[in-house]
Amino acid sequence: MGRAAFAMWLAAGLAPAAAPDFARDIEPVFKARCHGCHAGRAHMGEFRLDSREAALRGGGSGVPAIVPGRSAESLLVRYIAGADKKMVMPPAGPRLTEAEVRAIREWIDGGAVWPATGASVAVETKPDPRNHWAFRPRVTVEPPRVKNTAWVRNPIDAFVLAKLEEKGMTPAPGAPPAHLLRRMTLDLNGLPPTPAEQTAFLADGSEEGYQKLIRDLLARPAYGERWARHWLDVVRYAETNGYERDAIKPSVWRYRDYVIEALNKDTPFDRFVLEQIAGDELPDATPATVVATGYNRLGPWDDEPADFLTDRFDQLDDIVSTTAQAFLGLTLGCARCHNHKFEPLLAKDYYAMVAVFNGLERTQRGRTELDVPIGAREEVARELERDRVVLRAEQELNEVRQLYRGLPVMPLLDRAAALQQRIMTVRQERPALPRGYFLRETKGSHAATHILIRGNALNPGPAVEPAAPLVISSGALDIPAPVGASSGRRLAFARWLASAGNPLTARVIVNRVWMHHFGEGLVRTPNDFGVMGERPVHPELLDWLANWFVDNGWSLKKLHALVLQSNAWRMSKQPRADMAALDPENRLLWRQNPRRLEVEAIRDSVLAASGRLSRAMYGPSFYPFVPAAALEGSSDPDKIWKPYDDEAATRRTIYAFIKRSMIVPLLEVLDFCDTSRSSAKRLNTSVATQALALFNGDLVNREAGHMAARLEREAGPDRAAQVDLAWRIALARAPSAEERGAMLRFLEGNSLKELCRVIFNLNEFVYTD
Amino acid sequence: MAHTRRELLWNMGARFPMLPLVDLLSRDGFFTRRLDAAPAARTHFPAKAKHCVFLFMNGAPSQVDTFDPKPVLDRFHGTPYKGDLAVGSNGRPVGYLMKSPFEFKRHGQSGLEISSLFPHTAKFADDLCVIRSLYTDTAAHASGCLQMNTGSVLIGKPSLGSWLSYGLGSANESLPSYVVMIDPRGGPIGSASNWTAGFMPAAFQGTLFRPAGAPLLDLKPPEGVSGAQQRQSLDLLDTLNRGHLASHGGEGELQARIQSYELAYRMQTAAADAVDLEKEDAKTRAMYGLDNKLTADFGRKCLVTRRLLERGVRYIQLYSGGGHIEDTWDGHNDCITNHRTHAGETDQPIAALMADLKRTGLWDETLLVWGGEFGRTPTSEGVNKPGRDHDWHGFSMWLAGAGVRGGQAIGATDELGFRAVEEPWHVSDLHATILRLMGLDHTRLTYFYSGLNQRLTGVRGNVIEKVLA
Repeated sequence: MGRAAFAMWLAAGLAPAAAPDFARDIEPVFKARCHGCHAGRAHMGEFRLDSREAALRGGGSGVPAIVPGRSAESLLVRYIAGADKKMVMPPAGPRLTEAEVRAIREWIDGGAVWPATGASVAVETKPDPRNHWAFRPRVTVEPPRVKNTAWVRNPIDAFVLAKLEEKGMTPAPGAPPAHLLRRMTLDLNGLPPTPAEQTAFLADGSEEGYQKLIRDLLARPAYGERWARHWLDVVRYAETNGYERDAIKPSVWRYRDYVIEALNKDTPFDRFVLEQIAGDELPDATPATVVATGYNRLGPWDDEPADFLTDRFDQLDDIVSTTAQAFLGLTLGCARCHNHKFEPLLAKDYYAMVAVFNGLERTQRGRTELDVPIGAREEVARELERDRVVLRAEQELNEVRQLYRGLPVMPLLDRAAALQQRIMTVRQERPALPRGYFLRETKGSHAATHILIRGNALNPGPAVEPAAPLVISSGALDIPAPVGASSGRRLAFARWLASAGNPLTARVIVNRVWMHHFGEGLVRTPNDFGVMGERPVHPELLDWLANWFVDNGWSLKKLHALVLQSNAWRMSKQPRADMAALDPENRLLWRQNPRRLEVEAIRDSVLAASGRLSRAMYGPSFYPFVPAAALEGSSDPDKIWKPYDDEAATRRTIYAFIKRSMIVPLLEVLDFCDTSRSSAKRLNTSVATQALALFNGDLVNREAGHMAARLEREAGPDRAAQVDLAWRIALARAPSAEERGAMLRFLEGNSLKELCRVIFNLNEFVYTD
Repeated sequence: MAHTRRELLWNMGARFPMLPLVDLLSRDGFFTRRLDAAPAARTHFPAKAKHCVFLFMNGAPSQVDTFDPKPVLDRFHGTPYKGDLAVGSNGRPVGYLMKSPFEFKRHGQSGLEISSLFPHTAKFADDLCVIRSLYTDTAAHASGCLQMNTGSVLIGKPSLGSWLSYGLGSANESLPSYVVMIDPRGGPIGSASNWTAGFMPAAFQGTLFRPAGAPLLDLKPPEGVSGAQQRQSLDLLDTLNRGHLASHGGEGELQARIQSYELAYRMQTAAADAVDLEKEDAKTRAMYGLDNKLTADFGRKCLVTRRLLERGVRYIQLYSGGGHIEDTWDGHNDCITNHRTHAGETDQPIAALMADLKRTGLWDETLLVWGGEFGRTPTSEGVNKPGRDHDWHGFSMWLAGAGVRGGQAIGATDELGFRAVEEPWHVSDLHATILRLMGLDHTRLTYFYSGLNQRLTGVRGNVIEKVLA
């Protein structure tokens, strides 16, 4: 090409030849410059460029590398053209020439025609991920036949026994009634049975007495207080935001109260799901269902983020990751930056779920978060109007006061009095609405949600519509008409979550309930039902339970009763060497699992035993005792914690204030959950610092004194009677002669208070039989 | 989230975190946990260092006043900054370029340049490896401290000390393996999220340790309980628990819990002994500056550090500065007076620690890290005010001790000291390097949680090879 011709060609922007040909112009470039890393077995960034299908699918980012007909939208072109400073391809060697880039552009704009050639390799076909057990629809199963039919009290037992018999194993004998009473009371209510309850239950001794115990314990408010805490772990509940100011989330405790109430009312679980995710969009929304959506706002939040756009997506990630784990048992959060490395979850699935929540806004003034009035739309509008009127009057009042400072000018004084009157009148006429802590959609329109390439908020890819993860759904959501300014997207998504056809939701919650009754779930990774999670040994039982649960109106209380009625639940916890040799991890359930009580149950049991446990429910949290030395670790040691109030601190632990940057040391050391994200399961460690906290710490030593006083009050001056009552209160049994002797000898040189301190530290106190 | 077999094995480990452990999980191909007696055999690389001491200059020291001399600033002193970088944080007022009032001199055979803030540390110039080209992702203290300690600007990730405790196990039986000593003026912003174990078991979290009196929470028996009563109470507990154990077939969990009470009892003595500085001679105490009000607190912490290292504590973090603004290195109002104070408080004790480690031989197995969460601007904050604002584009830290090639400065900021331009190293690169020195490969030290093999360095991190001796 001559110089002149070249200049003309440049000016005209015409190609010197006809449309690029794949075999002649494109493939040689791919082969020479790309296939070293992106073909055959080499697929860096999970990207291959040796077939059209692979190129269209794109790499790990989940974004197509080539969009036929649209070179400008093709990631491949951005990278080879150097349009993306952070990703230039090829990464080594000289850049592609302008002519090569242009040819590739034109080839894509011409439809990216890719004739089959010998060089191109077909994309490997992977096994269909929908075949993973948890993604398949639940199966209808009949309880299996077993040899020892006498052991089968309900179908749960048939499933458990069948597996044991397959291996020639046997279930543990039933635990004695006294053990079952203490176990069940702590399981369902998180408190030990009182001496009176022990006497009544053991005197009855009938199966009907056992059934009645289940009903009674489920009917007590203490049930909701115990089981709400399990749910609060899953939904990352805490009462501050974390980070520098770690500010208090105003009114957030109303969400905690909502959960307690919902469980006590036995709100069907499918409804429970709807209320938390979209309680504001429900056709029959109530203040309680709006408070429930506080779920969306529970996560940690940096009020001074390094980058606001990134922060926006961090907040959405908190909701999406929690929702996927809490309800679906999916680690979808991993697909934020690229398709999931291990699961059949795509970046597209992740951002489709981001789109569901993308309309939500945080109510705040500067860095300060605000709670929100709860009421019908008109009520809230009136409240805002009221606030405006009051604010205007207050501003004028201030101005007037500035004017008459030191000058008692009558007209000004009159004006001030009138304004004050006005403020009072407005406040009386329209009393303030209750306030809650939740996110809202107020704009009425939604900006599109894009896949973010490598999770980078500044690097948007293609737009996505709100949808459910493809591997377990058809993707599309049936989005209703907007509810006021709210898009209805969350409601559509929540309806899909809570639908009987969703393969995961029922399985996941049934497994959580099972875990709290047996110490381990049927799936031992309760937040991960994916390919990387643990497969259940009893998948049929899980499906049978999930089906039963859905058929019985998603009632948690019915599910508890079913489990507690089974012989499987009633098995003893005693070790059995012969069975342990065959199944050391007790996966086949040859006994009940021993597991230390959670810190809440330990603390509440101490207070119950000392006789000081307050039964006051609901309301703002109390501040448990924190040693001054523990506050030193804060950057604001003087402001961080409220002074200890001994009476308030007798409330149940679920009402204790949870501050993200300073978890109460007693809770933290005893394996309290991680509050920064969904927590499926408490860890169960035994370390020396726990012994220090329980032996030398404030709670046990304070309550030991109160328990000693109680024993003297209730058992009189006789040492043996005191010892026996102490044992009954704390351990729900009488001491053996040997135990009684050891304690009486101890009391010769030590006080009753010291004895109570020892009792609170017993293994038997923090374990159930 | 917990992980079954792994969790089970973990629990076995976590229950005896103070005991030497057999390698339970290497069979799992999961990670390496080793007996302290055979470190080289069990770490990814031969470990250069067994212990790490992180001297955290909380609030962010200014690079141009400490380890990164910028003579050009003298020339442009009092003129506006015309570059394209975002300056400072939170819309604080941006003033003019401000030279350092502290004189830089060359020290040691290496001629490493150190400002007059650190006359004592400067004696160890040939041992220091200064990295002048670090950068981080945030200009806020909370997220900056989190990133420096946990590798992430978001809360909830395990801290560096947790990763080391997890990867290397504990080397002592009666003290925590990961100890944090904070400033009497308060903790760092973000408090315990800076020494959390995140999603790992609580046994790997940092334990707050006070360098005087009762070093651990609830270490002493409650008031009114004598030593004899404490022993009698523990004996009764033990008797009753053993009876219970016998009737429960020797259940492992119950056994572990019985042992934890014996360990706690031993800890009462061992921890108190570790902070008993009366056992140190007058010369040593003076060397650490215990007789001087300015240096006494940090000196005490440094001396306790040496005693903890002798007792096998794996990771110790000392905070200089606590609370807010001028009580830390956060010199917004008057960076000059601020740095004079905080350097004055720490310089002699740190040098004493270095001298003492060399004397005791611990130097050869201990890695020292000095620095804060980011740096400070070469500009003043506002006009006619000697404060400096946050600078996360470039800042300095130093490493010294086991495995570190001293007497060098790595990388460079631009001529004003604003941004790392030569060999820019991200915080994750520093983490990768620290793990490397401790014998661990940051890409292989993983913990499976929430669907991912989690790493301290996330998806980033390159070892800064020049640091390695």
